[in-house]
Amino acid sequence: MLKFTKLSLTAALLAGTAGMASADAITLEPGMETDMVLLPKFLGILVFDQANEGAQEAHAELGNPGSLLFQGPTPENSVAGQIEIMTTAATNAVGAVLLSNNAGDQIAPAAEAAQAAGTRVVTWDSPIPGGAGEDVFVAQVDFGSIGVVMADMAHSILGGSGQMAVLSATPDAANQNAWIAAMQETLAADAKYADIELVDIVYGDDQAEVSYNRALARVDSHPDLGLIMAPTTVGIQAAAKAMQDEGLCDQVKTSGLGLPSEMVSYTMNGCAPEFALWDFRDLGYLTYYTAYGLATGQLTGEIGETFVAGRMGEYTIEEDPGREGSKRILMGPFTVYTADNVEAAAQ
Amino acid sequence: MDRISPQTLRILALLVVLGLVVAFFASQIDNYFNARLFNRISSSVAIMALIACGQTLVILTRNIDLSVGSIVGFAAFATGNMVAGWPEISPLLLAGYAILVGACFGVVNGLLVAYARVPAIIVTLATMAIFRSLLVEYSGARSITSDTLPEWLVQFPNTVVFEVAGVQFRAAFVIAVLIVVAVHIALMRLRPARKFYAVGSNPEAAEMAGINIKATVFAAFVLSGALAGLAGFMFLARFGNITVVAGLGFELKSVAAAVVGGVNIFGGSGTVIGALIGAILVDLIETSLVRWPFVTEFWREAVLGALILMAVAVDAILMRRLIALRVRRERERKEAEAQ
Repeated sequence: MLKFTKLSLTAALLAGTAGMASADAITLEPGMETDMVLLPKFLGILVFDQANEGAQEAHAELGNPGSLLFQGPTPENSVAGQIEIMTTAATNAVGAVLLSNNAGDQIAPAAEAAQAAGTRVVTWDSPIPGGAGEDVFVAQVDFGSIGVVMADMAHSILGGSGQMAVLSATPDAANQNAWIAAMQETLAADAKYADIELVDIVYGDDQAEVSYNRALARVDSHPDLGLIMAPTTVGIQAAAKAMQDEGLCDQVKTSGLGLPSEMVSYTMNGCAPEFALWDFRDLGYLTYYTAYGLATGQLTGEIGETFVAGRMGEYTIEEDPGREGSKRILMGPFTVYTADNVEAAAQ
Repeated sequence: MDRISPQTLRILALLVVLGLVVAFFASQIDNYFNARLFNRISSSVAIMALIACGQTLVILTRNIDLSVGSIVGFAAFATGNMVAGWPEISPLLLAGYAILVGACFGVVNGLLVAYARVPAIIVTLATMAIFRSLLVEYSGARSITSDTLPEWLVQFPNTVVFEVAGVQFRAAFVIAVLIVVAVHIALMRLRPARKFYAVGSNPEAAEMAGINIKATVFAAFVLSGALAGLAGFMFLARFGNITVVAGLGFELKSVAAAVVGGVNIFGGSGTVIGALIGAILVDLIETSLVRWPFVTEFWREAVLGALILMAVAVDAILMRRLIALRVRRERERKEAEAQ
């Protein structure tokens, strides 16, 4: 068993939802037939494949005789490709599309058309920002709590005071933008963070070379910079590599959201002493249960509905505090990785 | 002044523009003009210089290669995969493997353009998507990470070959410049290499002169692929982390570098040294814009585009002035001789 240090605060937040034993939790009837499409931002990224593994596990567990297709666009065609796959899925009358949205609100018309054709649209990882065309969003963690976790990691790495810059993915990535906003709110709200200055937010487009160059440019324009916070698995690794290559790890640390297998060397050599992530297999698993329940009509998707998601336990559909009028299911928790646990997790 | 060729003039004009851009940003950004700036730009340009060099060869023959970004990505991934499975492979063999992978893709492009007579923009637009999809398929969603790479490979791009007052000439940059200079000399001096210019400036005349146009165009694409493959090797060594998006968008950057560097998009004229300076200029503007607080993220691309246009315009005006100046001098000298 891997031993993880879980953030007490996040754990406490989540205990409210996950630990509540409710009498009317719906146990899903297995073996009903419905076709599903799992649609990631684009193909070829490890975390999306992990989500697929989780979804396939749930698919086998529920004994759905229908198909679960892992279909995604190629990287250079992400936005248009997602819309196209959504449209095709609706035409083929699949039961549900499981979407990690990379197309902003541009995908909403296609998603609404799919819903009109009887297809349920369950988003995961990254929602449809306006909520139109979406049945429910399976949130990996509370978006507000990501802000708290990032602020806390910054506080711990900077020793309470110093300059920090954010290196994000694309300027219109709904999930990253929400997390950064949440972190800014956290920094402003608590006097504990008063001496941490967020000097800049830049975007590396989730490409290694762009992120690498952006990270170095931040160091050049802010000589006193102490930390680069990258809430993206591509950005955090590129930033850590850039600091290591230029021999800057002593002055500028890297933190954010990263994969243990990709970050282990930087954590062990001190370039990235702390970072966080959640389990993408679990996220795929939970998303599948949700979509299966909706597509087979066992769940209606109303707020307050509680169901059992196999090995992960009970979950409740609630209002999304970050997006008015939208619904979400909150997964959690976070795992914070340090030199103590990263090697075990990287195996 | 009289003996300087128009191509040399163009390179001089580009260097002036480069100086102007540096002066402008130095007046705008604190702590801008220092050795670090050179180190940043040179490390970053090493990769693009090779791609732009290959792109120039293709553009010279009146074609275009939009698949180079995908070739860089594939070669980087394949090379990383190779060295992860065979850590004791010799550095030259590994670089050779990257070049071979790139050249194979170049052969596909070259066959379709030169022999099947499909327009280059259509062929390479298609192969750009096809090669990228092959990479997605080949990678199986794994990514190459720097901890699977041998130490020498990770160290290589940042190895300082020589250093002058904090200005570091690093291995990747030095190699890229040496290659560009070698290609430049070949294009200027060697008869087979001159064919690229002949085919691009006047295909009919080239054919009449007995030049095998198909073979020349084919060679341009293979060389472009090979250089993109080598760039993939450099990319792997520099970034360590290779996912399926590696090299995305490099095709347009390389075309921008070539065009800014004075390579005629309709073929027949331009130099690879120009393309190298063009690559430096584009990278310099891009890097500096990130540090310029007046431009937000959303406007940066637009400002970059505008600055590229401006750089090309200033370059064209300077060129015209210099040529006019030379013509006048020539005339004055002849008049002086006549008297």
